[in-house]
Amino acid sequence: MYFRTKLKEGVITNNPILVQQLGMCATMAITTTLFNGVGMGLSVLIILTCCNVCVAAIRKIIPEEIRLAIFVVVIAGFVTIVDLLLQAFIPALSSALGVFIPLIVVNCIIIGRAEAFCQKNTVGASFVDGITQGLGYTCVLILMCLIRELLGSGRFGGGLIDITNGFRFTMDGTGAGIQLFPSDYGASILNLPFGGFLTLGVIFGTMQYALKKSAKKKEAAEQAAAAAAAAAAKEVDE
Amino acid sequence: MNKIFKLTLVLLLICAIVAGVLGVINELTYRRIEELTIQKTNTAYGAVLKAESYKELDKAALGLPAAIDKVNIDSVNEALDASGNVLGYVIVTTFSGAQGNITLASGVDSDFLCSGISVIEHSETSGLGAVAASTSQAGADWRAQFAGQGEDIALTKAGGQIDAISGATITSRTIAKAVSVSIQVAKEVAA
Repeated sequence: MYFRTKLKEGVITNNPILVQQLGMCATMAITTTLFNGVGMGLSVLIILTCCNVCVAAIRKIIPEEIRLAIFVVVIAGFVTIVDLLLQAFIPALSSALGVFIPLIVVNCIIIGRAEAFCQKNTVGASFVDGITQGLGYTCVLILMCLIRELLGSGRFGGGLIDITNGFRFTMDGTGAGIQLFPSDYGASILNLPFGGFLTLGVIFGTMQYALKKSAKKKEAAEQAAAAAAAAAAKEVDE
Repeated sequence: MNKIFKLTLVLLLICAIVAGVLGVINELTYRRIEELTIQKTNTAYGAVLKAESYKELDKAALGLPAAIDKVNIDSVNEALDASGNVLGYVIVTTFSGAQGNITLASGVDSDFLCSGISVIEHSETSGLGAVAASTSQAGADWRAQFAGQGEDIALTKAGGQIDAISGATITSRTIAKAVSVSIQVAKEVAA
């Protein structure tokens, strides 16, 4: 039950990108193929979860004055570990994401969660928070990749899917993806950083609209319930 | 005073632990990373000049300048066949393209003609300058123009032999210049 509430919070109501508006630089820069999006999302998810657990575990022994310095050291440690492992075992992803893997050190989602959540919560709760916030981040990256890849170059699943010899997943980033229409007809501006701004802006707008609408609906329902209760109370009085 | 001492101690301890863990991970991965880097350069070099092995030359000992015409010379490699004869050179250069730096490997054969080029790193505009690095047919065709060219390479609009990529004159021109510089360097090294 706790996990489900947290999952809803991470993916929708308190999404790290769409609602907290954190870590947008990498989001706009790397979401050009599905391979990059999934790779970056999972890297952040793993690093975020590890850091959350670590920070929560040592939260009682960290002196207040130097907590930020300690968070940065812990985060930098995990980022370097993931960076080295990617370089050694998934070199295609490492070269595709380039500087954005080391830059996770200064990704505000991670330090933001450490500061806002893990400092005050148990290891278990922080673990769940890391997974759910990471999933929220990954979902947005995947959505951005799908939109930009489709409209920008008419492709689906670049780097991750190969259909030349039957359908298969490629973990080394060599798959050409599924070409839905010739890439010459794509709006290649969406592949550029500018397209990242545009796509993210549209997703932001849609998300805010949906959140406002659902909040209004909830409010209206609450008002109706209150009115009904008042009417019922009146009837009883009479 | 006591407080500062305590803070320092905690920070030092945590840094020491993190550094220790990183050391272990580095020990586990560095050999593989090194291997992969060599493999990657060999594939890139192989695409421009086929050879059994490549040997990097010491630029300082050769007395080469760091840059010629704003084209930085990153490395000069001898391409060797199985019995150690020099087949030509692979020269890696970095220069400023239309959007950012381009790193290019150019192969120069023993007749000082270009044997092929390969863009190692770039940040050119997708669909325009990025064609120079793309694996598509258009990209391969464009790069193939350089094979067999001598030192004086220029774009057709400047009276040369290379057709520019449409919409990416600057990218095309800077790459052409870098290839000329590479051939010049190969001549100097061989002399």
